[in-house]
Amino acid sequence: MLYIRQMALSLEDTELQRKLDHEIRMREGACKLLAACSQREQALEATKSLLVCNSRILNYMGELQRRKEAQVLGKTGRRPSDSGPPAERSPCRGRVCISDLRIPLMWKDTEYFKNKGDLHRWAVFLLLQLGEHIQDTEMILVDRTLTDISFQNSVLFSEAGPDFELRLELYGACMEEEGALVGAPKRLATKLSSSLGRSSGRRVRASLESAGGSGSSPILLPTPTVGGPRYHLLAHTTLTLAAVQDGFRTHDLTLASHEENPAWLPLYGSVCCRLVAQPLCMTQPTATGTLRVQQAGELQDWARVHGVLKGTNLFCYRQPEDLDTGEEPLFTIAINKETRVRAGDLDQAAGRPFTLSISNQYGEDEVTHTLQTESRGALQSWMEALWQLFFDMSQWKQCCDEVMKIETPAPRKPPQVLAKQGSLYHETVLSEPTAPGGPAIEPLDDIAAVTDILAQREGARLETPPPWLVMFTEQPALPSPCSPASVAPAPARTHPLPWGRPRTFSLDAVPPDHSLGASCSVAPLPQQRSPRSRGLCSKGPPRTWLQSPV
Amino acid sequence: MRGNSRRPRLSPSSPGVKTRRFCTHGRQRECVKQRVEIHKLRQGENLILGFSIGGGIDQDPSQNPFSEDKTDKGIYVTRVSEGGPAEIAGLQIGDKIMQVNGWDMTMVTHDQARKRLTKRSEEVVRLLVTRQSLQKAVQQSMLS
Repeated sequence: MLYIRQMALSLEDTELQRKLDHEIRMREGACKLLAACSQREQALEATKSLLVCNSRILNYMGELQRRKEAQVLGKTGRRPSDSGPPAERSPCRGRVCISDLRIPLMWKDTEYFKNKGDLHRWAVFLLLQLGEHIQDTEMILVDRTLTDISFQNSVLFSEAGPDFELRLELYGACMEEEGALVGAPKRLATKLSSSLGRSSGRRVRASLESAGGSGSSPILLPTPTVGGPRYHLLAHTTLTLAAVQDGFRTHDLTLASHEENPAWLPLYGSVCCRLVAQPLCMTQPTATGTLRVQQAGELQDWARVHGVLKGTNLFCYRQPEDLDTGEEPLFTIAINKETRVRAGDLDQAAGRPFTLSISNQYGEDEVTHTLQTESRGALQSWMEALWQLFFDMSQWKQCCDEVMKIETPAPRKPPQVLAKQGSLYHETVLSEPTAPGGPAIEPLDDIAAVTDILAQREGARLETPPPWLVMFTEQPALPSPCSPASVAPAPARTHPLPWGRPRTFSLDAVPPDHSLGASCSVAPLPQQRSPRSRGLCSKGPPRTWLQSPV
Repeated sequence: MRGNSRRPRLSPSSPGVKTRRFCTHGRQRECVKQRVEIHKLRQGENLILGFSIGGGIDQDPSQNPFSEDKTDKGIYVTRVSEGGPAEIAGLQIGDKIMQVNGWDMTMVTHDQARKRLTKRSEEVVRLLVTRQSLQKAVQQSMLS
């Protein structure tokens, strides 16, 4: 038994070790990125990742330490028996989600309205910690034109207990380089590190880094990279179960910085957010099994049902399969804080063993359902499940009244970079042949196909064709290629080009029609377009006729 | 959309059909308009109308198979889903959308048009559309 427990513990450690290694690797990456950054904004993002990695590493190491200590204590202390019932009942875990975070700012009206002077900008982000999980929000740039700092995405913690403490910290950094105010030694250090040459300069920086500056935060490890941006703790607060509500609430922030701090922001002093919690007992079935329920009425015969205890209801289905097919249950018994459950020999179930009754008060009336389980063991497990549910309800309090909706946080929008995409040629759509015997791929089709693909990738319609297209084309549009019996003959391909040759276009060559689902009926020939100037960067007429479903 | 012989004949006095004169680009145009009220259908996270649009001032109007005037950069209905909210409301393929809930759609980009139709806060959109078959039907009935 002890051996298995040790293995289990070490397995948990492996998981933690793995997370720790991952964070260490991320930290190395962030350091390298920071060293390579040239722009302030990139440096701020890199510093933020670095700080988050650091704090996670600290956290995991602390957790490992705690576990090792517990293990040691477990070995030397008394051995708990495995077969006995748990000494204490522990409440079920839940998911906690915080979203729609908004921190109001309070600018001096002269600053806000007159808009004089340089626009100071700050980069801020929130760090949220629940237990051993640390998550951060995106970095937001703030200047005096904003009245609030609003964070778009939501943060979800999966394994929270009802006694959770969600620590929220706001960090800010100046967008501008911290100037002469910061102090001479730093400037000297920067000068030294930059004049020593790249590799030795980096080493100097690294040593300065590890020496560490004065830490300003409980969660974050201080990493003052010389010359890099520095985040300061601006405010913090801790939220608990009492703050959970299916709606928006305002909480007070404890301000942590003062005006002398370079990253100081005029915070109003509160934070608005939506903090919801979904205990697992509300969203997942806690017990299932076959039951016999005494029917109400004169007959009083017993119906066989498949019972599912989930949330604050005991659903009774006709068959176990109904749960999967989505059929409505036969009936539902509510179970809440006021419900009373009794087990054992009951009057109304004389002669039937393993019964329990569930009573609910509806106004003046008391409604009692009597259920019979299959065996003593089944009765015990149902009772256990019900007691656990009552315990969870007493612990999670308002979260068990109704299931609070948690929206799956959308994946964070990646930066707009056209990275790691396959060759455009893999995405080129081949159009149908326009005439029997003609080339399967019209050379000009490719350009528009490429243009279309680029337009789709950028997520916006290309209003103009790429500038280089101007050099080649200047012709009227013709009907869609998928109409073989088309009316339009005429200025069609006078010089059909074989596939593979470098493209030269005659003035009469045809731009294709790549509109989605374009009907194959014929449109009459359009009027001639006026000739355009042949400047490389002049805008041409639109070449697409897109269709969108609504 | 061309086979107007199959469309029901509408008299000018029937409800929902109005004849208006208005000026565009110095030319007087007589247009027969139809009001269509579409109740959006909820599909999961989205509210859909059940049709597709084409056109826009940033699009190539010569490729519009539904317009009579090939320089018309308006928004046209290119497809109507069977049994969808648009079909139920009476929208037809080839209709030109003039207004959506009071917002003009004759001088908008394709994306602006799409956005005006897919506002999440609106469950009902009232379109003002014009239909060539409608126009022809009215003209025919006026002549007869």
